[in-house]
Amino acid sequence: MFMCKDVVENIMEYIDSELDLQTLKELEKHTGDCPECKAFVNTYKRMLEITGKLKDKPFVTPEVRNRLRVLLKSKIKPV
Amino acid sequence: METGFFKKLINVIVTKDDERLSDKSDVELVNLYTNKGDESAFDEIVTRYSDRVYGFALRITRNANDAEEVFQEVFLTLTKKLDTFRAESKFSSWLYRVTANASYMYLRSQKKHESNISLENYYPYDEKGTLMGKIMDKDWSSRPDITIFSKEALDIIDKSINELPESYRAVFHLRDIDGLSNEEVANILEISIPAVKSRLHRARLFLRDRLSDYFHEWRR
Repeated sequence: MFMCKDVVENIMEYIDSELDLQTLKELEKHTGDCPECKAFVNTYKRMLEITGKLKDKPFVTPEVRNRLRVLLKSKIKPV
Repeated sequence: METGFFKKLINVIVTKDDERLSDKSDVELVNLYTNKGDESAFDEIVTRYSDRVYGFALRITRNANDAEEVFQEVFLTLTKKLDTFRAESKFSSWLYRVTANASYMYLRSQKKHESNISLENYYPYDEKGTLMGKIMDKDWSSRPDITIFSKEALDIIDKSINELPESYRAVFHLRDIDGLSNEEVANILEISIPAVKSRLHRARLFLRDRLSDYFHEWRR
């Protein structure tokens, strides 16, 4: 019998569309009947959308970039 | 007038060269620098990879000053050891590995190495396999995008990622933020693909919980 635990342990493959058809059917039937699991899957997907946004965040400030430039200029030797 | 013409011509040539440089592959840039000493090729590598190197170093060290030390060390190392790169793996994977090694070495030198806590027993269900934690009551998935993607929510998730134990943090960053494949992450961190998947899974469960707590508190 498919349980909440099985939804949790198969969620990555579900998101990546890597589940076999039988497991996919069972997971979707369970989440259709279980509001807790439905909420779990929906919040999991939304969480991935949020973390995906972090990719757009610039990490290096112009000051850090400039300090690296100065350092490299002082250390780099012509090959 | 002639001088003006030549200046314009030089500008066109320089601009075209720059454009060509940004179009070049990583391997071509590496070869230009190692074989011909072309510093502009090295600059292009720095431009292309600064955010990824610094971002990964920051994720491992969790401190801006430490990350900058590592960031500088990585590119200084490249000026000397770029010729040791063999095109057997992707240049980006090789550079991530250099960054990981430099970060861990730096933390060891500063005696800042953290104890590695396991999240392997972190799961949201009880011994009967039923979900716990009032997930439905805390369901925030239908909140509007303006709330979900607010700066505060992004800051919370960023801070929560930094609460992850080190080995989970590095996997999560490479896989879900920088968007690398399981194979690439396994190659960079020198761990197995099942280990990548397992750490990523637990990290995601932990972060989903953190976000649920945040949005639940925020509603009050």
